[in-house]
Amino acid sequence: MPTFKLDDQVIDYQPGDTIIQAAHRAGVDIPHYCWHPGLSVAANCRMCLVEIAPPPGRPAMLLDVLRYDEKKGDYVKARKPKLQPACQQPVAEGMDVKSQTSEHVKEARAAVQEFLLLNHPVDCPICDQSGECRLQDYWLEHSGKKKRMHDEIVHKPKTVDFGPTIVYDAERCIVCTRCVRFCEEVVKDPVLDKRERGNLGEIVLAPGRLLDHDYTLMTEYVCPVGALTAKDFRFKARVWFLRSVRSVCQGCATGCNSFTDYDPRNQTAYRHRPRENMQVNKYWMCDSGMLDYRRIHEDRVLAARIGGSTTTTEAALVAAAKALSSAESGKTALLLSALHSNEDNYALLELGRQLGIESVFLAGKPAGKGDDILRSTDKNPNRAGVLLLLGDKAPGNIAALAAAIDGGKVTTVLGVGSDIEDPAFASSLAKAKLIALVTHEGPVSQAAHVVLPASSWAEAEGTFVNDKGMSQVSEKAITPQGGSEPAWRWAISLAERLGKALPFKKAKEVKAASLVQGASSGAQA
Amino acid sequence: MEPLDVELDETEVELPTEPMLVNVGPSHPAMHGTVRCVMELSGETIHRVDVQVGYLHRGFEKMCERGTWSQVFPYVDRCNYVSPMLNNVGFSLACEKMLGIEVPERCQWYRMALGELARISDHLTCDGAMAMELGAFTPFLWMVKARDMIWDVMEEETGARLTHSFGRVGGMAMPPTDQFKEHTLAVVEQVLKIVDESEKLVLTNRIFLDRLEGVGKISAADAISLGWTGPCLRAAGVPYDVRRAHPYLKYSEVEFDVPVGTSSDCLDRFLIRFAEIKQSAHIVRQCIARLPDSGPVDVDDPRVVMPPKSEVYTTIEATIQHFKLVMEGLKIPAGEVYSYTEGGNGELGFYLVSDGSGTPFRVRIRPPCFLITGGLEKVVTGQMVADVVPCFGSLNMIGGECDR
Repeated sequence: MPTFKLDDQVIDYQPGDTIIQAAHRAGVDIPHYCWHPGLSVAANCRMCLVEIAPPPGRPAMLLDVLRYDEKKGDYVKARKPKLQPACQQPVAEGMDVKSQTSEHVKEARAAVQEFLLLNHPVDCPICDQSGECRLQDYWLEHSGKKKRMHDEIVHKPKTVDFGPTIVYDAERCIVCTRCVRFCEEVVKDPVLDKRERGNLGEIVLAPGRLLDHDYTLMTEYVCPVGALTAKDFRFKARVWFLRSVRSVCQGCATGCNSFTDYDPRNQTAYRHRPRENMQVNKYWMCDSGMLDYRRIHEDRVLAARIGGSTTTTEAALVAAAKALSSAESGKTALLLSALHSNEDNYALLELGRQLGIESVFLAGKPAGKGDDILRSTDKNPNRAGVLLLLGDKAPGNIAALAAAIDGGKVTTVLGVGSDIEDPAFASSLAKAKLIALVTHEGPVSQAAHVVLPASSWAEAEGTFVNDKGMSQVSEKAITPQGGSEPAWRWAISLAERLGKALPFKKAKEVKAASLVQGASSGAQA
Repeated sequence: MEPLDVELDETEVELPTEPMLVNVGPSHPAMHGTVRCVMELSGETIHRVDVQVGYLHRGFEKMCERGTWSQVFPYVDRCNYVSPMLNNVGFSLACEKMLGIEVPERCQWYRMALGELARISDHLTCDGAMAMELGAFTPFLWMVKARDMIWDVMEEETGARLTHSFGRVGGMAMPPTDQFKEHTLAVVEQVLKIVDESEKLVLTNRIFLDRLEGVGKISAADAISLGWTGPCLRAAGVPYDVRRAHPYLKYSEVEFDVPVGTSSDCLDRFLIRFAEIKQSAHIVRQCIARLPDSGPVDVDDPRVVMPPKSEVYTTIEATIQHFKLVMEGLKIPAGEVYSYTEGGNGELGFYLVSDGSGTPFRVRIRPPCFLITGGLEKVVTGQMVADVVPCFGSLNMIGGECDR
């Protein structure tokens, strides 16, 4: 592999790489605002300027400048090298690049930082970006200089409503155009643009439009400062109190890699952020996926029920065991869920196998809108995983289960999952004795005879197989809410009540037992 | 009047005695703070003693390791709470050693002046309390009166009489007040006068001298092997003083003597503190003479020092600086350091480990008292029960420092 030198460190590069790309791949950070690995090069923030030594035997390209001499109290003539933006400059073999080691680069970066903060409002205390803001990080790292301009700053529009999800603050904006390029290049919907120049520059909507495509929250995510803020997250939490776990988005079968940010003090999830995985979602997530974290807390079933009224866990387990053991032989069915992890579905399958249940059905959310960027029409995160668990045995769908119940072939159903493709089948489900492990209120929880509260994906570690057949692990963020427990744990408790023993007791054991053959492992960023 | 120590013929009534276990403390008037001594007595003679210091346990080292570096100051205040300024300065110096920065000259003289005032208050407390525990209440009130004068200066400078939390990494919380020099010089003069009077009060009292002289001896070799430092070690004749042996701040530029004892008994440990008060007063006067009236107190480094509040509210740069220092804490480069200064009772050492983040990875404090208290057993073994009081008093155990 060809190499070049960055701050005297030898770095590999691929032909065509820019300096910042090669450095990024090698894990060396060159400070930048406007450059994003997934977007085109704009080279407008000037933060990534580097000094490049002239080729051997050639003189350096020097610029004549005036430098203020404090002793003389006047400007004196001086020369300095012409610096290059690392995001735009392609690497050449043996190139000698100076970033942190060049005094000229340090000076330039401090000056850029001073310019960017020249008209910046004193907003950190009320800004949602505070704590993860590049302006804050880079000021301390590269500038550290006090304000020299004491005039009133240039005022620009604040809290501009960009659409249903995003609010824009032009005063905080450094006009890096990441959001503009994202809409244009990734979503192919050029709804944002830039107007004016210099300190009057700001981001504007296309006339007559709102920022209302399906990836609007990504504009907030790529914004390196607090100019774009998400309405969903505004003033909800301060990021330094949040902790993150590596999760997998539950919104559709794509299985985008995400971070679930939660506050450990009140055990509440506050947002989803994309996690880089070049094989799955690259750097992005869609709006519905970003907002999917809300289901962790919304419409949850948190207590056991019998016949619609809340009861104790013990009473519900006894009632469920009674219903299962008194069922007519051969008339019990399993209902698996394409929304639940391999662990949950496997535990239920294993319980069904020990009870001699033959017929297996699979349900999930109805199909929805898809696109060729990220979103799949299948809105279930683990359909592929359940099919792999079943192997050769194809499960029946919800319509088949409804028909079997109506036809008297099935009288008792042990099911996991809160959603079915069509709520109309709920009336059929209600005719059978349905023991349901549900996370959310819905047709299943309404139709069930016994409800056991299952915890959501954020409350237990789980494995999900996406539509490309990649097996990915979503980590546990918060502790199970209310009286909920992971569905696989309910399966163990039910088995105990029925005098059976499942061959696993701990999360690790059920994870190992439920490993499916045939799924490739999704790379974890 | 007849002498008190008449030879009594005790041989006729020889009482058989068996070793008796006596618990003194952890809550007992003879114990400074919460410490427990299990004594094995034969009559009134101490055969063995087991000193147990674990009764005050706040886990302060662990507490230090959960906040930012600056948030450690209130904790070190509460190590030796009689001279918290010395702890503050010691911790500041340890952090600055890791950062590789040196505070401006004005700050160095200021730290020294405040530190020596704290040392005077520490020694006054020790000697006063020691006299009080032996029944001399007047000298205690006398010396505490002088201590209160010093604490008046401290209050004026820092806003707090006892736990100042006044040190900062890279400077001090505030520059010296306008009256600092005048006030301090006046107080030092008063304090020295009170010390002279106190000396006259106790050193002409025969009962007092009898209870100290020749009591609680320890050899220099034993003191060194126990890890003793400070006045207790110097009373044993070893002239080790960190200020002289490894000068920090501006101690190499000031004149002072290191007093040493000759007989290494309780009286020596009592007297050496009076002698050191006079030396400290001498140092304070030199510091005041050389403390510049203007100039920066804090280092000029935005990564370490807080911006002025007026700028925080009006400029984005200072807001950012304030935010980063408060929310993430100042970052100290990864590494470890052992930094030591002369505390009130000896070598106060800080062994710090940083992982490069804003939170200390490890804060290990070497408090002089912990090691000195460890020597109590050696000092009182073979003495009479009543001698525990002066021995213990002369070691000046500070409960907060013995927190393990």
